Formats: sequence, C-alpha cells, structure tokens
Amino acid sequence: MSHSRRDLLLTGGALVTATAAAPLVRSGSALALAPGDDTKILSDAIALELLMAEAYQRATGALGGIARLFRNQEHAHADALTVVLRTIGGSAPKVDVSGRLNALASGGGKRGTAEALIKLEDRAVKTYVEAHRNLKDARAMQLVSSILGNQAQHLVTLRDVAGQQKVPTAFETGRN
Amino acid sequence: MDLDRRRLLSLAALGGTTTLLSACGGGENKGEGPLAGEKSQDSSAERPGTDVNDVVALNAALDLEHQAVAAYTAAMKTLTGDNLLVARQFRDHEREHAATLSAAIKRIGGKPNGPRGSYSFPKLNDEKAVLAFASRLENTTIAAYIDAIPRLNNPNVRSAAATILATEAEHLAVLNSALGRRAAPAAFVTGEEQAS
Repeated sequence: MSHSRRDLLLTGGALVTATAAAPLVRSGSALALAPGDDTKILSDAIALELLMAEAYQRATGALGGIARLFRNQEHAHADALTVVLRTIGGSAPKVDVSGRLNALASGGGKRGTAEALIKLEDRAVKTYVEAHRNLKDARAMQLVSSILGNQAQHLVTLRDVAGQQKVPTAFETGRN
Repeated sequence: MDLDRRRLLSLAALGGTTTLLSACGGGENKGEGPLAGEKSQDSSAERPGTDVNDVVALNAALDLEHQAVAAYTAAMKTLTGDNLLVARQFRDHEREHAATLSAAIKRIGGKPNGPRGSYSFPKLNDEKAVLAFASRLENTTIAAYIDAIPRLNNPNVRSAAATILATEAEHLAVLNSALGRRAAPAAFVTGEEQAS
C-alpha cells in the first residue's frame, strides 16, 4: 500500500484497511485517469461512490441520519453514473467493497468519524475536479458537476461536525 | 444529439436513473453524445487566436459573480451575528472568483466584463428573506456553471470552473442550514431549488 493511500485511510485515529481500494483512491496526487477515457473515468467514479456509500453505512452508528442520507446520495450517484456509463458504451464495473473499509472510525466518536469521512470526501472532490479536465462527453461532465456539488455539500456538514470552518476557501479543490 | 442540459440535470435530480436514462436517449446512444467543448466559434469581435466560446461562457459566469458580490454587500446591511460573518466571507469568495475569471479571460485573449454601475435587488427587510434571496442567487450561479462547464474548450479552465462550482454549492449548503433546511438535501446539485 502506498504511503499516500495509507494517509488517506488512516484517519481520525481509526484504522481503515484498504487492501483493494478503488482505483480512484490508489495514489496521492496522480489520479491515474487516462485523458479522454470516459468509460474508465466513470467506472472508477462508480467504484469510489460505492466505497463511500459503504463508509457512510459504517458511520451510521456515530452520525445517525446524516450518514444514512449521505449513504443514499452516494448510491444515487453510483446509479446515475452507471446509466451514463452505459449510454456511452461502457458496462458497470463489478465492485466488491467488502473488506475495503475495516471498522471506519470505530470508537472515534462523531468528530473522529467526521474527520475520517472528510478525508474521503476531499479525495472525491479532488477526483471530480480532475475529471472535468479529462472527460469528453458533455452529459457525463454535467452529471459529474452535479455530483461534485453534492460532495462539496457533504464536506460542509462533516466539517461542521468536526468543528472545522465550513467553507475554508473560495476554491474547493479537495486539497484543503 | 442536442441535449437540453439543464433539463437533463433537472431530471436527474428529480427522477433518478430511469428518467436520466430517458433523457439521454435510453440505450440507443452509443457514444454519440455531445462532446465537451465542441461548440461553434463566433470569432467576429475578438483577436485572432482568442477562444471566443470560452470568453463568452466565462464572461457570463463573471457577470453572475459581480452580481453576487453586490448582493452579499447589500445583504450585510440587514444580516447580523453569524449570518453577517457568513455574508462577508461569501462576498470575499465571490470577489476571488471574479478576479480569477477576469484573469482567465485575459489569458485567453478576451476582455472581461466589469461590474455594472448598480444592481436592482428586491427590498428585503428580515434576515430570513435575505438568506432566501442569497440562496436563489447561489442556485442561479450553480445552474450557470453546470451549463457552461461542458462548453468550455480549455481543460484547465473547466477544472478551475469546477472548483468555483463546488464552492458555490458549499455556500448553498451553509445558507440552507441558516434557513433551517438540510444542508445537502439532494444527491445532485443542479441549481434547482430543492425541498428539504
């Protein structure tokens, strides 16, 4: 496991083992997205969304309704991405998230759980911002834009729970 | 295939995957959708080499950012406490967006629009009405970015615009909370007003 990936997953004092994390969270700054390969970008995004949905599922104990709402929204993202992926000729990836996130922030409480999820949301925002550079299909890009906005809104809520500034910068890059 | 993008995103927000599939042409479209940045170029009034399409799209966004600066400045006369601090911070963000867009327009050979001499806003006498108006402005701006981004030719400009869009969505989340709504009421941020 690379150092950057370890940084991503070791958060809030909670060990999150990710021996087979989604491709989009594989490396630190390089997102390994081939320019112009829309089907790969969307497939990787679906894998990331399902990973995040699982993370929120595991956070329901600490965050309750917020985690359930965001889990459902991540599933909605995955579903919509799958539809667009199919329309451009791709097929839905087979994603098994079991075992990728191990005991997210167990014992970390609300704040620790929120901090762990902020790391994941930051990575998602960073990924989707980068996708705007590489996607070619306009429909895919618009969908990604609308998902990016929602992930950024998740960050606002999570930062609030974690006691952080809700909108710390004029340019949300996922690198905050 | 010429899509009404606003409608597509609205449908995605409202109806989920089935409606989105329908709006995309169901299973019929095999990679024949519109390509990002592939728009006609009207080069009548710009310098040779200028990306006219990007200049037009960015100036439209810049107009909204100027309007947002004016709106938050006006809102600060009514808001108090934490809401006042939020308005000041968001006004400063919008100023940064305007400065960045102006610089980007210049870099690609265009002339950035300046702010208008005055803006006409409705008279709003209480904090809730002011916050609701700010929320509507943020939604308008978000919709404009979602519409504009796929039209931009320059990939770096597209990703920069995406970072602004994300921040506007964050502003909207804060305003939603201040209005007693859910911060992130819908899975897709489209610029359409969401029930919470």
